[in-house]
Amino acid sequence: METNVRMILFKEDQIDQASDAIETLHHHGISDKDISVISGVPFSEKILGRPMSWTRVPQIAVAGALFGFIIAMLLNFLVPNLYKLSVGGMPLTPIPTSIVVTFELTMLGLLISTFLGVFIEMLSPSFGPKGYHPKISDGYIGILFNCPTHADEDTCFELQDLGAEIVDLAEVKQP
Amino acid sequence: MAADVKPFIGSKASPHQESEAEELRKEHLMLDPMPRDEMNQMVMEAMTTTTRKWWAWVIGLGLAVAVLLFGAWGYMIATGMGVAGIRRPVFWGIFIVTFVFWIGISHAGTFVSAILRVFKAEFRRPFTRAAELMTTFGLAAGALYPLIHLGRVWVFYWMVPYPNARWLWPNFRSALVWDFLAITTYLLSSTIYLFLPLIPDMAMARDRSSGWRHFIYKLLALGWRGTEAEWFRLRKAISIFAYAIIPVMFSVHTIVSWDFAVSTVSGWQSSIFGPYFIIGAILSGVSAVVTILYILRSTMKNMDYFIRKEHFDALGKLILVFSMAWAYFFFNEYILSWYGGDAAVKQVLTLHATGPSAWVWYTMLICNVAIPWLFLWNKKVRRTPWLMFIITLLVNVGMYAERYTIIPLTLGHQRNPFDWGIYNPTIIEVSIALGTLCLFIFLYLIASRFIPLVPVWEVQEGQMSHTLRKVGKTEIPSVTELE
Repeated sequence: METNVRMILFKEDQIDQASDAIETLHHHGISDKDISVISGVPFSEKILGRPMSWTRVPQIAVAGALFGFIIAMLLNFLVPNLYKLSVGGMPLTPIPTSIVVTFELTMLGLLISTFLGVFIEMLSPSFGPKGYHPKISDGYIGILFNCPTHADEDTCFELQDLGAEIVDLAEVKQP
Repeated sequence: MAADVKPFIGSKASPHQESEAEELRKEHLMLDPMPRDEMNQMVMEAMTTTTRKWWAWVIGLGLAVAVLLFGAWGYMIATGMGVAGIRRPVFWGIFIVTFVFWIGISHAGTFVSAILRVFKAEFRRPFTRAAELMTTFGLAAGALYPLIHLGRVWVFYWMVPYPNARWLWPNFRSALVWDFLAITTYLLSSTIYLFLPLIPDMAMARDRSSGWRHFIYKLLALGWRGTEAEWFRLRKAISIFAYAIIPVMFSVHTIVSWDFAVSTVSGWQSSIFGPYFIIGAILSGVSAVVTILYILRSTMKNMDYFIRKEHFDALGKLILVFSMAWAYFFFNEYILSWYGGDAAVKQVLTLHATGPSAWVWYTMLICNVAIPWLFLWNKKVRRTPWLMFIITLLVNVGMYAERYTIIPLTLGHQRNPFDWGIYNPTIIEVSIALGTLCLFIFLYLIASRFIPLVPVWEVQEGQMSHTLRKVGKTEIPSVTELE
């Protein structure tokens, strides 16, 4: 089926109308995977009646923490045994002082990998219709959808009735 | 969704109610919404306006950094550590005092941004970034000191634990390497924590700029569009950071305190030093936030809309609470050391209060306890920005005096009377300390023209979740959870 990428905009105080517009699109047979919502402030998926987004950031963070912990263990316990420097009366691998190093490196791993997780996911290809309008950072709520060509006009009329501003296709661009 | 005042059902709002609502709007930023494009415009205007006065400050501070910091440090490297006043028995002087001071200041961002975020303190919204910037630049200034204090800075890599031909195996579990690890972790994490909530504002700046600015903002916005998935993962990451950075913050100043507490120096070996240092750091950091907010409000365009008296009021209450907590920890540490009866410790305590440098000790108590307690209980004082500026400046003078008391004044009078001495900082040390202050202000000044200092999306989010709700015969502010 031939489709057009369409974008509609709602003002920041028209959140109810925006969620109604998504429902209208569903009635026209446009599924969630063919709809993207972009906004200048975060709205939870529940507010807009959208399926929950997913992210691997927490898992990446845990993996990073684990990595940091392993590095700390190697530094604390493996390295002193590889390069022994015994000092009279002092343990070679004291646990209390190792706890500090372990804590810091685990947290370092956790925090850096959280950022890397966000970074990687931001730069990874995403699904759904793509496009942007500078009005989004002015607080507008944008709805992008793949609209079947034959239903294009009807859908647009209905959305305009809800107060949507239809964006000209030429204005839909990448940031 | 924006805050609005609804009239009484079945009747018009009376002029009295209207004026009450107007007062509330004037008072609370969250109840005084403005269209997002206007807020963006205001922030961009503040960011891109550079007056002659601003340039004069930048050039003056740049020169001061070059001469006071790098010039004096370079001279010390070329001549040797002898030009500093540190000598037997005081080997830790102004360098370490200033190091502890800056690490303390750096607690502001994490406290204001992370802890207040976790507890959903709404007043934090407009100034979280200003505080986070303080953390990053405070740490940058502080992190120079281990290198400066090292003397032979060109061999700093000897601390790094790798197999080497020098028959040295640096012990990275030593207290000084804890410092290195803790500061690195905190510096990296607080910089990332500054950057994450900045991404949507970078996109805002990208959409409103051209030329080289547009190029830089585009790069830093990481292709941000504001999709549901982007917001979801950003919030997840901010949430992970907000929780994880709190223990890191505690660890940093605890470890700094252990630099002292793990030694056998009389007056330092105290199990309460960790929390005592942390409370002091938060007191000093939050005070510095108020100082900075006053300067931003008075010098930057449109900042009086975002930074209001309510913010000074709220931070003033926090400072009062932390001043009380600091006094509690100070007294706890003092009385147990005094009651312990160790002659050397008693000697140190007596010297602090009656010795030739007793004025430092009294300055500490006056600025950290007397001034906040005398003034900050008063709402009028807390709501007068210039008074808050002076009080918070004095609190930081007091906190510097505290570190000075703990370090050189304590080291000068240890167990052997034949080894007592008085520390006199030299002009080189004072110059380097002033140089890092100039560096901090210089970096902040530059950043204020590149980074949106107000997190606009967070302010708008807050304004959308605040409304006036009629309860009985009046209307009161209420908050909705949008998450």
